[in-house]
Amino acid sequence: MIAPAGYGLGGAEPARVAEPADASELAEELRLCAQAREAVVPFGGGTLQGIGNAPTRYDVALSTRRLDAVRAYDPRDLTIGVEAGITVAALTRTLAEHGQFVPLDVPDAERASVGGVLAAGWLGPRRAAYGRPRDLLIGSTAALADGTLASAGGMVVKNVTGYDVGKLYVGSLGTLGVLVRANFKALPKPAAQRLASAELAEDARERTVAALGALTVEPVAALAVDGFGGPLRIVVLFEGSEATVERATRDLRSALGRSGIAETTLLDGDQAERAFARVLAGYTEVVADRTITYREPGLPASAWERARRMRALGAEVIADLRTGDVIARFARQHARTVLPRATILAGAAALRADLDAWGEPPATLPTMRALKERFDPSAILAPGRFVGGI
Amino acid sequence: MPDFTSRLLVALGPEVVRTAPEDLAVYAFDAFSEDRLPSAAIVPRDARDVGIAVRIARECGEPIVPRGAGTGLCGGAVPARGGLVISFARMNRVLELDVRNRRARVQPGLINLDLSRAVAGAGVFYAPDPSSQKISTLGGNVGTNAGGPHCLSYGTTTNHVLGLEFVDDEGEVHRCSIDDPGYDLTGVLVGSEGTLGIVTEIDVRLMKLPEEVRVCVAAFADVESASEAVSAIIGAGIVPTALEIMDALITRAVEAHYHAGYPEHAGAVLLVEIAGAHDDVAAGEALLSTIAQRHGALSWRAARDAAERDALWAARKGAAGAIGRIAPNYYIQDACVPRTRLPEVMHAIEEIAREHALPVGNVFHAGDGNLHPLLIFDRREKRQVQAVHDAGTEILRTCIAMGGTISGEHGIGYEKRETLSLVFSADDLAAMGRVRDVFDPARAFNPDKIFPSGAVCGEVRA
Repeated sequence: MIAPAGYGLGGAEPARVAEPADASELAEELRLCAQAREAVVPFGGGTLQGIGNAPTRYDVALSTRRLDAVRAYDPRDLTIGVEAGITVAALTRTLAEHGQFVPLDVPDAERASVGGVLAAGWLGPRRAAYGRPRDLLIGSTAALADGTLASAGGMVVKNVTGYDVGKLYVGSLGTLGVLVRANFKALPKPAAQRLASAELAEDARERTVAALGALTVEPVAALAVDGFGGPLRIVVLFEGSEATVERATRDLRSALGRSGIAETTLLDGDQAERAFARVLAGYTEVVADRTITYREPGLPASAWERARRMRALGAEVIADLRTGDVIARFARQHARTVLPRATILAGAAALRADLDAWGEPPATLPTMRALKERFDPSAILAPGRFVGGI
Repeated sequence: MPDFTSRLLVALGPEVVRTAPEDLAVYAFDAFSEDRLPSAAIVPRDARDVGIAVRIARECGEPIVPRGAGTGLCGGAVPARGGLVISFARMNRVLELDVRNRRARVQPGLINLDLSRAVAGAGVFYAPDPSSQKISTLGGNVGTNAGGPHCLSYGTTTNHVLGLEFVDDEGEVHRCSIDDPGYDLTGVLVGSEGTLGIVTEIDVRLMKLPEEVRVCVAAFADVESASEAVSAIIGAGIVPTALEIMDALITRAVEAHYHAGYPEHAGAVLLVEIAGAHDDVAAGEALLSTIAQRHGALSWRAARDAAERDALWAARKGAAGAIGRIAPNYYIQDACVPRTRLPEVMHAIEEIAREHALPVGNVFHAGDGNLHPLLIFDRREKRQVQAVHDAGTEILRTCIAMGGTISGEHGIGYEKRETLSLVFSADDLAAMGRVRDVFDPARAFNPDKIFPSGAVCGEVRA
């Protein structure tokens, strides 16, 4: 038995930690837990465990740490199959050797596991250009509570063979099954990457934000950030060929110039990537154990306005102008009432104790409950962590 | 108690309900053409009509089959056990167009191409473009997670559906979105071939039209060298917007019909579309033509203008129809392999066709590894019909053995249901059965589709 250090969730500690060596051991562990009615919380790197409620019961932390192999990768196929416990950084490095990538856009990629990122339903800014993790996932295997291993999809990029069950595990927070394998469509890595940032003058904000929406070469990410370690600024990421990124920079500079902004900071390649990773780190960072961060989905056209409202209430904000997300970090609790549809990404235990992590459940909740009941009848998988108390 | 059809008539009226055998005959077929008359059909005006009909059908124990344009190639829209067919011919409008946020809300009976036409002026388009797009409906596209040539870089239908309205097995109307907290119901409904619920509205993602689109045609000596070129392009990490191959038989048939300008005497033709910013399109063409020539391209030519580009595409998308001119009957297969296996699988298909003494044409989404061998036969020859069936199954087995799968974009439907267990284990199928149990425990929605008879634990109860 392994000492349960670092596996606490909202004050609850597991009685033990299981670290199965492979998928079939993991499935067998689940079967035994179901038999013994032990509540299991799957654990990857633990970086996104701030998503979801604290479990209502918690006996076993089930780590996928040892399932960390690349199982199938022929770079010429532009697809890759990995075990779910592999870190996002390891996946990224493997692909980068062959000039490819899978854009998952997560904070702390060195620790975050691929399975955890999928299960947590993580959504990053570049999805506007490259698709969501659910769109890049072409095949999956999950261990179910009855100890079976169930696969869906495959290793091909087009597939309509049976139900797309893999999509149900993505964003399920491990409440239907535990992902043990994920196959992705890989993308060719763009030749150039450039991060442009500029401070916004008070009087030119609206004009600048509007100008960003009208660029001929669209950025893969366009954020308006206020707080998170700096003044109100835009952070724009371009990816593509050298020529196109150069042209995009010229267009951006002249658009900003028209809004009276003379200073644009440019970072290229690795530097751009690191700076972008620093922005992402803010999404889940809890400052001095006294903040709580929400993600509110919405339409791109309203992101700026929604973010300004949250700013007026005292939040640090990121308006994602391409996806429509608003990230709002508050240093106090009342935000739930103003963000009824937002989900909590991370938060100090004291601030979130009485808050549901998911906000108002959708009207389809009864169907979701029925799915849970059918996949995990003894409710041993992450009980209470999900939407509507699932 | 009044019978099924009279209850439908009383509830919805003759404007919506069809019961005469001559009216029902059109709902007995799809492009797979297994025929059986339903007891009734409805042409609903809205989701409410659908809900009412579903409730009545359920109370009468009648199965329910949704239908778009009936262009499906696997029997997905055929009422395998009779019952109620719901045709969406009347629910064909764009309900909402939000160009700024690049989304539209549409009804399931809207024809795929009509959506792109309706939004083109606003600088956006709907990406999935099955070859049937001139007639197939978005509801049907959702059912089969339809693909098309441009899915290579843009993804299939599932990547472009943001949310759905659907009627459940009790006739209740629900709405789901990929932005809802909770399980991704939208994701599992897309591609479920009408077996989980009846889709009554679709929220789709629109994309910004690229700055430039260039279509190029390369001639090759044979399909294998064209396939080698495609494998090399993907292997070099280049993903153009489309990479399509037609073999000699298809190219000749297409040219005879469309006169689009394909090299008629080529052993195979590679159709390449590159889209994006001006600089990238020019650079992309230079790079792609170099790779193609290194792999045996005999010629390379770019379409001069939009009219020529459209003509090339129209001919490519009309390929199956053009074959109809030269063949008494043909059977089109749909399968996928990893893209490195393309040359090998094309060789294997040729061998299989030769062994069964069947002429074969190949027109396929090469960049995706998505094959469409067309086996040509004469329906009146019993032996040939059997040969087509055997060859088709052998091709599927070959693709599975190469790490591929049995449908890339057409669906499983009625045709391939027994083949599904070659791809998935009993445990895999059981997980799918659990999903079915939740949405449709009585197996009222499109029974006898997708799943092998008796193979799924839940299915046995049906």
